[in-house]
Amino acid sequence: MASDEFHRAALEHLDALYNFAMYLTRNPPEADDLVQETYLRAFRFSHRFQPGTHLRAWLFQILRNTFLTFYRLRERESALAEDGVPTWDTPMFHDAPEESSGAVEAHTDLERALQRLPEEFRTVLLLAEVEGLALEDVARVLACPVGTVKSRIFRAKERLRGLLRDYSKE
Amino acid sequence: MNNHSPDSDEALGARLRAELPRYAAPTHLRSAIGEGAAGAQPRPAWLAPALAAVATALVLGLAFLPLLPRILPADPTERLVRSVVAEHTRALMWGARRPEIVPAALPWLTQESGIGLRKVFAGDDRLLFVGAEPVYLEGRRGIALSYRDGDGHLVTYTVLPWPGLPLPEPRRVQIDRWRPALMSDSGFSAWVWRQGDLACFVVSDMVSESDIERFKDYFVRLRVSTDPVPAN
Repeated sequence: MASDEFHRAALEHLDALYNFAMYLTRNPPEADDLVQETYLRAFRFSHRFQPGTHLRAWLFQILRNTFLTFYRLRERESALAEDGVPTWDTPMFHDAPEESSGAVEAHTDLERALQRLPEEFRTVLLLAEVEGLALEDVARVLACPVGTVKSRIFRAKERLRGLLRDYSKE
Repeated sequence: MNNHSPDSDEALGARLRAELPRYAAPTHLRSAIGEGAAGAQPRPAWLAPALAAVATALVLGLAFLPLLPRILPADPTERLVRSVVAEHTRALMWGARRPEIVPAALPWLTQESGIGLRKVFAGDDRLLFVGAEPVYLEGRRGIALSYRDGDGHLVTYTVLPWPGLPLPEPRRVQIDRWRPALMSDSGFSAWVWRQGDLACFVVSDMVSESDIERFKDYFVRLRVSTDPVPAN
């Protein structure tokens, strides 16, 4: 795929990637950073993209891997901080939106319940149900078998239903 | 679970699609990425394998470096001078291993080195005798005598059996009635001459023009007062 054509095709998925980034980070500046980093990597490694495969899934895969890389880095730093070693002022990505300044608040029970799911459950629901990716593509993004994706979707929905039931009783 | 109930998987999926707000990428992000795309150059596909190949070659090169043959001068005199200078450097760094007293140790030195000394320069007001020891250079036994001058320069006089050692004519210097060759290696100067079937060397770190004059004087002192011969 020619470079310009690749850039154009990749940019068509910007809104979907940003939406996904927002649900992962719950913080607009961090979502900005995450999406920018995703495109930077995608453009740099565009030669690795195999034409004919799903570009959208490939971009989601890069975004999620980037998120996890920074998230794990931040988790390590937090562990160090508990031991008394100073950390940076602002981590790049996190998944604790409630405690973060500038985090987007959840307006509905559904949004709040989704936010409380572990990342791997949140991600399968967002990719499979919201973005409409095929199970095979979701499996590629998560680097796991299709059977695992199906199982995660089932468990994620169970967990989501339970949380929604709890909210309805409050 | 009933798939038609409000709690069914399908209904939950539909709720997620319908009720979750969608966040559109802000304009500034779109333009920033667009600008980045304009300047972005994808890495050439051949770059990664090429870098991997170069890295592998470097690692292999480093691994086999000790096994590679050393680059030695083809000229036997230069090669010999390099060995003598290396021995001089060792003495300079760590001192003579056996600072034997001459002439008391001469029989032992002759036995160990295969070089007899009919007379030996035992030092004077300019050069202080430091020590003597047998050496083994380029596969031959020899003898090395060390001296130190008033400025701290170490001067090493080395003798090896080497019949017919060629001397480079352009480097030969007339000093009194002798014509030794002035060679240099690794920042050291060396007088090289033949004495019968022996090759003789005087090495020091005196390389400047004024030092060379003094080095000539040291050569004369050693040449006049030392007379090595093969012991066999």
